[in-house]
Amino acid sequence: LALYFHIGEREEKCIIEDIPSDTLVVGNYKVQRWDIHKHGFLESAPGLGMFVTVTSPTGEVLLSKLYGPQGTFSFTSYVSGEHIICFQSNSTRFAVIAGSKLRIHLDIRVGEHFLDESAIQAKDKVNEVNVRLEHLIEQIHHVTREQDYEREREEKFRKTSEETNSNILWWAIVQTLILISVGIWQIKSLRDFFIAKKLV
Amino acid sequence: MLLRGYETTGPWGWLTLLLVACAAWASEITFELPDNAKQCFYEEIVQSTKCTLEFQVITGGHYDVDCQLEGPDGSVLYKEMKKQYDSFTFTASRNGTYKFCFSNEFSTFTHKTVYFDFQVGEDPPLFPSENRATALTQMESACVSINEALKSVIDYQTHFRLREAQGRSRAEDLNTKVAYWSIGEAIILLVVSIGQVFLLKSFFSDKRTTKTRVTS
Repeated sequence: LALYFHIGEREEKCIIEDIPSDTLVVGNYKVQRWDIHKHGFLESAPGLGMFVTVTSPTGEVLLSKLYGPQGTFSFTSYVSGEHIICFQSNSTRFAVIAGSKLRIHLDIRVGEHFLDESAIQAKDKVNEVNVRLEHLIEQIHHVTREQDYEREREEKFRKTSEETNSNILWWAIVQTLILISVGIWQIKSLRDFFIAKKLV
Repeated sequence: MLLRGYETTGPWGWLTLLLVACAAWASEITFELPDNAKQCFYEEIVQSTKCTLEFQVITGGHYDVDCQLEGPDGSVLYKEMKKQYDSFTFTASRNGTYKFCFSNEFSTFTHKTVYFDFQVGEDPPLFPSENRATALTQMESACVSINEALKSVIDYQTHFRLREAQGRSRAEDLNTKVAYWSIGEAIILLVVSIGQVFLLKSFFSDKRTTKTRVTS
């Protein structure tokens, strides 16, 4: 758990994961609280926990649990899209003490299925090869799922571009028509006006 | 890691393999950077480890962000302003905590979505050559090449996904801009033309009253 960052005590921090459907995401985190007296981060703060909330692209909440200061969470996506993983501590300290912050260590793995190491260590070499090949097949399925998702997104992109193109064309025609008709109306209206005023 | 070594090298062999495997990892995070905000990430790195930081802005404004990478002694290793995408490789000169920050402080109201990938260390070889008696078998060398090929597939896929997301975001921005501007222009056109006619009519109306006053 090497990468870490700081947030305020009551702050919520979210990260975005754009993933295809049926993908397993596993996250490891560790949270430490800043101690003012020791001027350092405590190794463990009893009672400190983290709310982990995972929202799917359709707005549905996939996971919403309170974990301890260190934990592992996982979820599987049902739809492809941007899933939002949010972290918020359960700290109930109302007085926001100056300089109080939390350090969150984070490690998120997408689509990885860990090798079952005990099965690997089996004496039977054929079985070992089997397990490794199955792991490899799973990885390739993940690549295929990503490609399908990419095809969906490219279609959406293309539709947006074509819509923009036809919008521009249509609005240009409409504006030209407005220009011509308003110009004709202007001339007619002024001509009638001048005739009525006996200036022409 | 896609595949590990085949041979059963005993418990010590696996331990060394695990330790070597732990020396290399990659963290990739996509997060939202609000306007006028700065977000920093820290990583503890061992001396003489080769590391790579790569980042890309996916949505927001002009799709650019400031990035700064500092060593444990505060020395600035990398600093770029308003960059859309960059990749920086360095070798850690000393042990300690390295800090890299993304800043959106130059922007007043657009928040950006930033992706970064921080790779620490090289991936360990699939079949470590310490306890080997023979050269790699055909099966094992096939595995090594499949592993390398799949790693580059995943790398390309990630880059493609990010570029596509950025392109799609630009296309959607363009679409809304075109719609608003066109409607705005049409309204301005109508208002200005009709206004011109009435203004012109009002000039001639005033002239008429002065004309009648003169004659009577």
